[in-house]
Amino acid sequence: MIQIALQKKLTAPHGSMLLDIDININKGSLVTLYGDSGAGKTSILRMISGLLQADKGRITVNQKTWLDTNKGIVLKPQQRKIGYVFQDYGLFPNMTVKQNLLYALEKDQSNHTVSELIDIIELGDLQERKPEKLSGGQKQRVALARALVRKPEILMLDEPLSALDNKMRAKLQDYILKVHKQYNLTTLLISHEISEVIKMSDQVFIIENGKINKQGNPIEVFTTKQMSGKFQFSGEIVQIEQEDVIYIVTILIGINFVKIVAEENEVATLAIGDKVIVASKAFNPLLQKID
Amino acid sequence: MNILEGKITDIKTHGSVSLVTLLMGSVYFNTIIIETSDSASYLRKEHVVKVIFKETEVIIGKNQNYPISVQNKISGALLDIENGILISKLTIDTAIGKIIAIITTDAAKDLQLHVGQHVIAMIKTTEIMLSP
Repeated sequence: MIQIALQKKLTAPHGSMLLDIDININKGSLVTLYGDSGAGKTSILRMISGLLQADKGRITVNQKTWLDTNKGIVLKPQQRKIGYVFQDYGLFPNMTVKQNLLYALEKDQSNHTVSELIDIIELGDLQERKPEKLSGGQKQRVALARALVRKPEILMLDEPLSALDNKMRAKLQDYILKVHKQYNLTTLLISHEISEVIKMSDQVFIIENGKINKQGNPIEVFTTKQMSGKFQFSGEIVQIEQEDVIYIVTILIGINFVKIVAEENEVATLAIGDKVIVASKAFNPLLQKID
Repeated sequence: MNILEGKITDIKTHGSVSLVTLLMGSVYFNTIIIETSDSASYLRKEHVVKVIFKETEVIIGKNQNYPISVQNKISGALLDIENGILISKLTIDTAIGKIIAIITTDAAKDLQLHVGQHVIAMIKTTEIMLSP
């Protein structure tokens, strides 16, 4: 169990903001922090890693105290077993992939860990290359491997996939899930993408103005319980066309477009760019296996 | 979408599926939904809920007693008919509120519908959604 209680006054774009959270995370779970920019997500990760000092707080990780401001306990970042992956890879440009990983080893750690990670994250063909010869997705795989070299107790991923295209993103998500399970990691992910949160996480915390606004199983948190229809998606209106006495509304859901027939009174309340819930009953859609 | 109001009078649950009976004016509607009283707090006897179904899911008939598997039926007078080339929109004035039906223009012609006429609007049990 990881218990995190943190308080810190932060300077936000619109004046100051009190970040105040108190959360418990089960060991081995993948947890997402979701919220707008400036809500305090990155500050939370930075305080857990020790890069930012909390005004008040307590962090215990598997019965070990990393921070207790009441008792004056503040472990240094290097004393906390953390792996951190940022959006901008942070690889050493003058070192090869393998050297980047070896550099992260602790003094008494064997090289075996590095070769194992090269295997799992499939970096074998890339290990002698320098970062400049890698694609964005490949660099992020190296950054992920490097964050795991010291066998962290918490893996922290600060929007690691937001610079990647959808296909690469899906692949990286699979790598993250693979290492998360294989190393029984406790992983904290920051993400803006609802589909990513639902695919990846056991639990989501929605952060608003430095406070936890909502938490729970991602599907329960994000799907509206306001309607009994179980075939539900959220999307954005991209086109509204009149056809005969009805309207056809085109909606972008994730990377897919769907078309929904709507009636005049409904269309009167809708505009292009509106976020909408698309709902039908579980009884209606057909399923067809793809060969 | 058509949004009417109904009072829940009965809930039969088996596993995660419930068959909900609603009193709508003086007629009863049934809907089958994948919710239970545990998963949806509005699912309680005596609660008034919104009864939602799409215009394209309304079936129009002219005869009250035709044997048919559709359980939810309400009679009303045709208030308006808007004929398109392929698709027509009917507005029906019923005791539980206005219901809009979207059917093919061919079907509307076959039925020889005209404003003021009495028709039966029918909605399948699997097509009705509930909302608090």
